[in-house]
Amino acid sequence: MTQALLSLRGVTKRYGSIHANSGVDLDVLPGAIHAILGENGAGKSTLMKLIYGVEAPDEGELFWQGEAREIESPAIARRLGIGMVFQHFSLFETLTVVENVSLLVPGAKKDLTERIRKLGREFGLEVDPLSHVYALSVGERQRVEIIRCLMVDPKLLILDEPTSVLPPQAVDLLFETLRKLSARGVSILFISHKLEEIRSICTHATILRGGKVTGTVTPKNFDAQALAAMMIGRDMPQLLSDTPDKRGEDRQHLSALSLASEDPFGVSLQDISLRVSAGEILGVAGVSGNGQSELAAVISGETPLPKRLQSKLTMLGREAGALNPAARRALGFAFVPEDRLGQGAVPELSLVKNAILTGHRRGMVRNGVIRHPRAEAFAQDCIATNDVRTPGPRAEAGSLSGGNLQKFIIGRELMLEPKLIFLNQPTWGVDIGAATAIRKRLIELRNAGCAILVISEDLEELFALTDAMQVLSEGRLSPRFTTSETVPEDIGRAMIGASGGAVL
Amino acid sequence: MRLPKLVRRERASLPVLIAAPVLALAIAALGNLVLYAAIGVNPVAVFHAMLIEPFASYFSMSEILLKAGPLLLSAQGLAIGFRAKIFNIGAEGQFVLGAICASAIPVYMPQASGPWIWPAMLLLGALGGSAWAAITAFWRVRLNANEILVSLMLSFVSLQLLIYLLLGPWKDPMALNFPHSVRFQFDALLPILLPGTRVNVSLLLALLVTVAAWFFVQRSFAGYQLEVGGLAPNAARYAGYSQNGAIWLSLLIGGFAAGLAGAAEVAGPVGQLQRSISTGYGYAAIIVAYLGGLHPIGIVFSAFLLSTLYIGGDNAMVSAGLPIAAVNVFQGSLLLAYLIAATFVRRRLVWPQRTRA
Amino acid sequence: MTNTPNRRNFIAGASVATMVAALGAQARAATADDPLIVTLIIPSPVADVGWGLALFEALETVNADYGEAMQLSVVENIYEGPDADRIMNKAVADGTKFLVAGSFGYQNGAMQIARRNPDVTVLHASGFMVAPNFSPFAAQYSQGTYLMGMAAAALSKTGKLGSVSAFAIPELITSLNAFVLGAQRINPDIELSIVWLNSWFDPAKAQEATAALVAQDCDVLFSNAQDTPSVVAKAEELGVYSFNLNSSMKDYAPNTYLGCVLTDWSPFFRASIEAHLAGSFEGQSAFLGVGDAVVRVVDWSADIPADIMAQIMEVEAGIADGSFSPFTGPIMKADGSEGVAAGVTMTDAEVIGMDWHVQGVTTPLPG
Repeated sequence: MTQALLSLRGVTKRYGSIHANSGVDLDVLPGAIHAILGENGAGKSTLMKLIYGVEAPDEGELFWQGEAREIESPAIARRLGIGMVFQHFSLFETLTVVENVSLLVPGAKKDLTERIRKLGREFGLEVDPLSHVYALSVGERQRVEIIRCLMVDPKLLILDEPTSVLPPQAVDLLFETLRKLSARGVSILFISHKLEEIRSICTHATILRGGKVTGTVTPKNFDAQALAAMMIGRDMPQLLSDTPDKRGEDRQHLSALSLASEDPFGVSLQDISLRVSAGEILGVAGVSGNGQSELAAVISGETPLPKRLQSKLTMLGREAGALNPAARRALGFAFVPEDRLGQGAVPELSLVKNAILTGHRRGMVRNGVIRHPRAEAFAQDCIATNDVRTPGPRAEAGSLSGGNLQKFIIGRELMLEPKLIFLNQPTWGVDIGAATAIRKRLIELRNAGCAILVISEDLEELFALTDAMQVLSEGRLSPRFTTSETVPEDIGRAMIGASGGAVL
Repeated sequence: MRLPKLVRRERASLPVLIAAPVLALAIAALGNLVLYAAIGVNPVAVFHAMLIEPFASYFSMSEILLKAGPLLLSAQGLAIGFRAKIFNIGAEGQFVLGAICASAIPVYMPQASGPWIWPAMLLLGALGGSAWAAITAFWRVRLNANEILVSLMLSFVSLQLLIYLLLGPWKDPMALNFPHSVRFQFDALLPILLPGTRVNVSLLLALLVTVAAWFFVQRSFAGYQLEVGGLAPNAARYAGYSQNGAIWLSLLIGGFAAGLAGAAEVAGPVGQLQRSISTGYGYAAIIVAYLGGLHPIGIVFSAFLLSTLYIGGDNAMVSAGLPIAAVNVFQGSLLLAYLIAATFVRRRLVWPQRTRA
Repeated sequence: MTNTPNRRNFIAGASVATMVAALGAQARAATADDPLIVTLIIPSPVADVGWGLALFEALETVNADYGEAMQLSVVENIYEGPDADRIMNKAVADGTKFLVAGSFGYQNGAMQIARRNPDVTVLHASGFMVAPNFSPFAAQYSQGTYLMGMAAAALSKTGKLGSVSAFAIPELITSLNAFVLGAQRINPDIELSIVWLNSWFDPAKAQEATAALVAQDCDVLFSNAQDTPSVVAKAEELGVYSFNLNSSMKDYAPNTYLGCVLTDWSPFFRASIEAHLAGSFEGQSAFLGVGDAVVRVVDWSADIPADIMAQIMEVEAGIADGSFSPFTGPIMKADGSEGVAAGVTMTDAEVIGMDWHVQGVTTPLPG
């Protein structure tokens, strides 16, 4: 057997009384594409942080190319040849792409710019090196992260949910890249919930549950159902059968809206029309950076519409273009934003206080005074009904894992009993168990007569969830596809269609 | 290289809570010993003057209360804005406007009497402070003008306004052109709270404002909205909380409190409008607010700490013959040591652990 | 005016007190272990130059004579207001029996102390209130600035003088008026522009104001009551003459320094302290000048023409013996009306309260 590039023996990490990792053994062989599978809170992210030197293990040993090593900081990890793309990005928003890269990669800015363009073309990770990060969508930011790692020629590349923001064609390109890297002897640690992906590309898979390793397998030898069962320790929850009821009245209507972006790096919306009815889920497909953020801001009310355009948007039977987000909520509208930390929730505040954020209308405030018991009961209820894993309602939102926080936010919005709900990337970075639970809730809600609008980059999700789809590409929205009569290739074509493939 | 990291403590332990300020004091004191030895001043006399004398008598303790009052008032108002990340740096100007507006009554009605005068002066002063802060709020909302710069610059404008009034229309006609107003009549002075001292009812007001600030921060929905706006502006926008509303509210509250403090100062120990009504209270209040962790209760402690330091410093000049520069060094080093100690109350140093190798 | 004692009376009275005190010299020595505590309180730091330094040095000079029998304590940088009141109270509680309140703004607090503590003697700078144990004191800077005006007019090529001044209070207005009157004695058409800083100590603003005045063609500058050498140093840099009050700043302008209207308070302080110790102190307004050896002009520039210098010396002698006053009519006000009729000399009280500018001052009074 060849010498492992990286080996872990009995690695344990505790946070207070919680064992995030407990006695983990792991061997990553040179050139392996090694999946780490596990639910939210299974300890995947912690394990990666230990390997990348962000955290130090409490017990256990780490061997790099056969030698016992301590990795005290990410700088040391990088020097050894370990690169990592985090789930939450570590980019400075006020700097440009190339400036962000130059923080970690030596070299003249001009050369770096050229290399970024070249890598982008090679791996389908195109991004303008001179644009500012704040103007990039989540998807584009991840591309920058991946490029940044590839630039230092790593021996081991850690990817935390890398494919979740890429369109199917780009995923194929990325996989091609990963295979090339693997052929050159670079090992890849790959965290994903997309079991089909893991089966198609990974040579090894280590499965974590509750911080412990429950098995290391060759994923090709198992089907997705079996892998999922190993991961969550029980059978996969099934989605409700997809039987749309008769559509009800129109709940939201956006007609021929064109809106120039004020941000020089933003995408202008052109001639956008959509309609969501009661008892219907409409999906907006497409890759981030094609106007998703802009469209979301228009629908949520964060971008107020100029006067001449106000009549273009109606919600729940009222002209809503002039209404701010609070006024729209008062009509029965709810919104789950793309960004969980800092938009959907305040990381420094407890779940109780985060419940008040949008839930304050539900009896939590009287005469301008907050009624904490009510808020706490609401938060408690939200935690219980949505299976949010947390020590309790007084835990800070920032201490929850991404998936659990998303469950809390969606749960909170659903508890407002909306007649119209809009979700932007509802399951991005959420593990399969949680994502399934979220989708199940949405379908129940749809069946109860709610109108639902979902923006997502995850085609699998949109096909499993929606009744109809439209594709957003370069600020234009395609005509409506009825999901049951459509195949992914149609959507893929629509994604490329408008732009002649420039997105890829 | 092994560098220790600062890790947040889950809960501050009580011994640490008590040890931190004591340790800070000890470290600062030791550092300054060297200085005193170098300039030939008796360190025992200095420490006695700075740290014991302020508490040595009823009168000197009352002076701490007197000086803490305006600091406490101004800082409570500022902290509310700072929590919302709206940086009103111009409390000094709002303080001066408060003093000017309050003085209008005794200046224009020097003969008036009655128990309504001093309350009316305080109210007028608070409104004056708010109005001055409103200028900043208006331009911030209207043109997105930076509130730090506008409020700070307005402080200098307010000083010119004060000097104009004192050299011109409000000059005491009996004072041979010296720049001050008439002495206020008895009814325009705040009632004394502690007999035999200069502590007046404004201290009660400051405590009342503290309670109100606590309630506002902890319990009110408006306070909650400001907090969200400060911690996560995107979340506030997402929830539909008005950013402009937050700017107005923060600045009006800050101006109100600083204006009240200014009014209480002219109607209290000063007793007339003059050139120097503020010893930089508006700026010191910024330190007080942050030293108190922007928390209403913490600010009470920091206001008294700073007040004690100021008075102790003056004492050290009077009784220990310490030059002003050395006083400033002591005050500065004590604050610095305290801030470092306070960091360790909430955090601890963790050295990277050695794995078995 | 009967209630304003003449300065010479004051010093004479103090001299009698000195003799009385001399008789009690042994008594003083006997109480050497219980020294007289003298406290000076001033609004700015005791710096290398300026008003605070002048007061401090004078007290130190007196202290040197008394040795162990006197203990001097200085409290600097104290705002005029509640803080000053507290500190003066504290000083008195700590045993201070002789208090020098070095700024006009301390007047109310210092007067309260005098009323409550009859055994404490208070000297108060620049004020107008008097009590048995409370004397206001002020320098007749005008006697010196009048002489400076003569020199300035002789050296000015543009006929424009400038001044960077602290506050528009009578003491400073008087100095400026005398400066103009002295200059008009040499050049009747000369003019004066003033920048009021509203600060005793603001180096940055003082420099800016200096540059602004020079830009307006002023070529002799008067740094009026500035506790910073900024004006003098900047004037040197810009190549124009300048002078100042209180203590010499020649080091800051070796080439263009016109001179210094020096104040030496030690004769006054010595007399007052001796009177206090003898129990014969009597509060009265002390308005002291060249004749009292309190005001002196020193460091005269070598550039002043010899004939002008001779005239200056002559006038100085006249001021010292009382035969000449800068404020003898006819004097016209800046607004064109008559200030002092021909042949009439303003009384000290009138000078102390002067709140108008003489003709030739182009900048109106603020307020």
